[in-house]
Amino acid sequence: MSFTTKMLGVAAITAASFAYAGSAHADVCDTPSSLGDLGNFAGEVITLAGSMQGKDEENLLATASCFEAATGAVIKYSGSRDFAALIVADLQSNNAPNIAIFPQPGLAGDMAKEGYLSPLGSDLANWMTNNYGAGSSWVDLGTYEGQDGSDAFYGFAFKQDLKSLVWYSPEQFEDNGYEIPSTMEELIALSDQMVADGNTPWCIGVESGNATGWTATDWMEDIMLRTASPAKYDQWVSNELPFNSPEVINAMEVYGQFSRNDDYVAGGASSVATTFFGDAPKGLFTSPAQCLMHRQASFIPAFFPEKGAEVERGEADFFYFPPFDSSNGNYLNSTGNPVLGAGTLYTITKDSDATRAFFQYLTEAKAHEVWMSQGAFLTAHKGADLSAYASAAQRKQGEILVNATTFRFDASDLMPGAIGAGAFWSEMTAFANGQDSQTTADNIQAAWDAIK
Amino acid sequence: MISRTLKHVVLGLIVFIWVVPFVALITTSLRSEIASKTSGFWTSFTPTELGHRFGTHDRDDTAEVLLKTGNILDRLNVGEEDFPIAGEVNSILIKGRVPDPENPDKTKLVRKLVPAGEVMDVRGGDFIFQENGDFTWTFDEPTAPKPKNLDVFINQEPVFDTQAYEEVLFDNEHVPNALISSFIVTIPATIIPITIAAFAAYAFAWMRFPGRDWLFVIVVSLMVVPTQLAFLPILQGFSGIASWATALNAWMTDCEATKSCEVASKSFASLWVTHTAFGLPLAVYLLRNYIVGLPRELLESARIDGANHLQIFTRLIVPLSVPALASFSIFQFLWVWNDLIVALYIGPNNSDDLVFPIRLQQQLGTFKDQLHLLNASAVISMIVPVIVFLAMQRYFIRGLLAGSVKGG
Repeated sequence: MSFTTKMLGVAAITAASFAYAGSAHADVCDTPSSLGDLGNFAGEVITLAGSMQGKDEENLLATASCFEAATGAVIKYSGSRDFAALIVADLQSNNAPNIAIFPQPGLAGDMAKEGYLSPLGSDLANWMTNNYGAGSSWVDLGTYEGQDGSDAFYGFAFKQDLKSLVWYSPEQFEDNGYEIPSTMEELIALSDQMVADGNTPWCIGVESGNATGWTATDWMEDIMLRTASPAKYDQWVSNELPFNSPEVINAMEVYGQFSRNDDYVAGGASSVATTFFGDAPKGLFTSPAQCLMHRQASFIPAFFPEKGAEVERGEADFFYFPPFDSSNGNYLNSTGNPVLGAGTLYTITKDSDATRAFFQYLTEAKAHEVWMSQGAFLTAHKGADLSAYASAAQRKQGEILVNATTFRFDASDLMPGAIGAGAFWSEMTAFANGQDSQTTADNIQAAWDAIK
Repeated sequence: MISRTLKHVVLGLIVFIWVVPFVALITTSLRSEIASKTSGFWTSFTPTELGHRFGTHDRDDTAEVLLKTGNILDRLNVGEEDFPIAGEVNSILIKGRVPDPENPDKTKLVRKLVPAGEVMDVRGGDFIFQENGDFTWTFDEPTAPKPKNLDVFINQEPVFDTQAYEEVLFDNEHVPNALISSFIVTIPATIIPITIAAFAAYAFAWMRFPGRDWLFVIVVSLMVVPTQLAFLPILQGFSGIASWATALNAWMTDCEATKSCEVASKSFASLWVTHTAFGLPLAVYLLRNYIVGLPRELLESARIDGANHLQIFTRLIVPLSVPALASFSIFQFLWVWNDLIVALYIGPNNSDDLVFPIRLQQQLGTFKDQLHLLNASAVISMIVPVIVFLAMQRYFIRGLLAGSVKGG
């Protein structure tokens, strides 16, 4: 026994004396679907690293506990909001965990290219194609170029988010006599109506520490999907359609009509860049309400003042961020109702049999149902029982995901890390601070040209 | 006289600026989550008007009635044990659409702030509330009204509670574990560098060997190496040592049976080594400058009495250097205690062994949804350095001057 392990032993004893709760998750594994045979890995440790903390971390551990119970393996998770920086240092210094959970595909792709990720194999890819709603797009999301230059499937998407949602308070709409809009034109008319009534329609906040700006990119992507065809959207992601092309600038300007309009935004347009994205929706619930609508992904109820209990009580609800009415000829809309989404990616950074078994577990409907019942989780797994969802609102979102046909991923997640988690974010923040759309688009394109 | 008054004013101002955040933190940690999110800490000492939303009744209450009664404060305090809302109910904001007189085919939104005792129309019934929160809601014929959420403004009495502290300390093991981990890291990471530095400082000050001055210059210049720059090579080094230790462990013990051979490269020991390395240059510099100022005659007479270097060091130098040693210990203790970045990169990353600053950062949560707990934890994490500082401050002030005056 080395010096280090001895000292760790001391630490473990002191730490253990403080660990009160052993298995608090006894009943979470009780789900509609049962578990197949995953093998026996008694005592083997699987280390996970990710960015999830707090409630998210508890849910992940609860989900993993059912795997531990079935196989005897031990899951150790370390979550940090600085995950992106830490994982790079860990990989480069040969300290990799078994599994890294990437919130953005851009960074996962970079790491695959450096040779730090192990391919998951075509079996998992085929499984995902067949069993996830819009499965082949999810496989594409996790497929990157490896160190040898050939494409392989590295990232297993587990836990999806649905964007394209507008959150509101039904009671406020009722008090004010407003109707849910079904087209973008109606949504803009409704916003104007709210302004005329002396209300403020929108709460928008893009501040998010070193990821400031991502909310703005989500807005813009949602609008891009509604003002240009999905084919154009795909070209934009791969930069075949330059960032400063008219289609993209147009989408940015439409977004600007919302976010740079002092009458539209609670606190005025200048507050957008400095408002924490998680504080923005709280304006829906203040007395009196600061704003009446908030466009954000499915995870946002966790930021509501009562952490989403509002949704269960019917005090908050969402409607679909509507497309433009194609009949007036403004925008070509051949896509029906496009849906924008994202997901976290599970990758193998240090291979072992137990790690492979964990990925096998992630394909089991049970793994999904355990987290579904904890809340704040959506899945595209078609085999997962929708009745497992913690709330009716989540079930409604889950159905949208599983039945999605025109589905596109968060573009900033798909772009190279330097753009999607860099220039796009920072320039959209500059846009929020008053920089014009042409300069913003030119700057992002210049950043993209620089990394080609 | 004027200059003295001015001095006092400036001094008072500085103290005020330093104390306000401290008071704010403690006050906020004792307030309810909702209150601290909706109003500033300075409003918490006097009754303050705050807005709330209350629902008239439960959703499953569908009895047909002519009269519904209740109490606004009771409704707001359902399920609230620690921070009950109390105070005068001032007004309710009511909204509705009426025909627009200027624009016949349109409606317009009217908002009205209705004070206590005045009748307002809510879902077709007459709604009246009193300052104490009692309300009556009367209908012309038996009705089962849908619950209505209303914005109500209450002149709220101050309320403080230690609920956040109880939750942090007793609800789960995170914060107690973090406290212990922080001590496990901080105490050795203070003692090890000070011990090494004291020996080194003596050698640099009183022993003659070739290249002494150059070595000292190199040690001092190491102070400017930025910590961040060194993380990757240090981590690589530790991971090399750890894999070597793992192999040794597997060879010497029967750990393979229990699958426990793995020696972690990120551990408390890695933190001790790293903090020692980063703390040493300043420690050596500070102590050497102090020790070199001790009276030469004292050491020479000890020499004449036949004392060797070790005896001189333990019997003379150490007792005489207590102020400098104590002052550096405080420096090092505070720096290691508050360190986030080294612990984040080099320290153990399993949940039970996280040090306090990382636990604080974790309490922000993915969703920044536990800010009230964060305030309480921050106060707890501050207490330890405050105690250390107060206990050793007389050394600290003397130590700060250490080496500044020859012979002092």
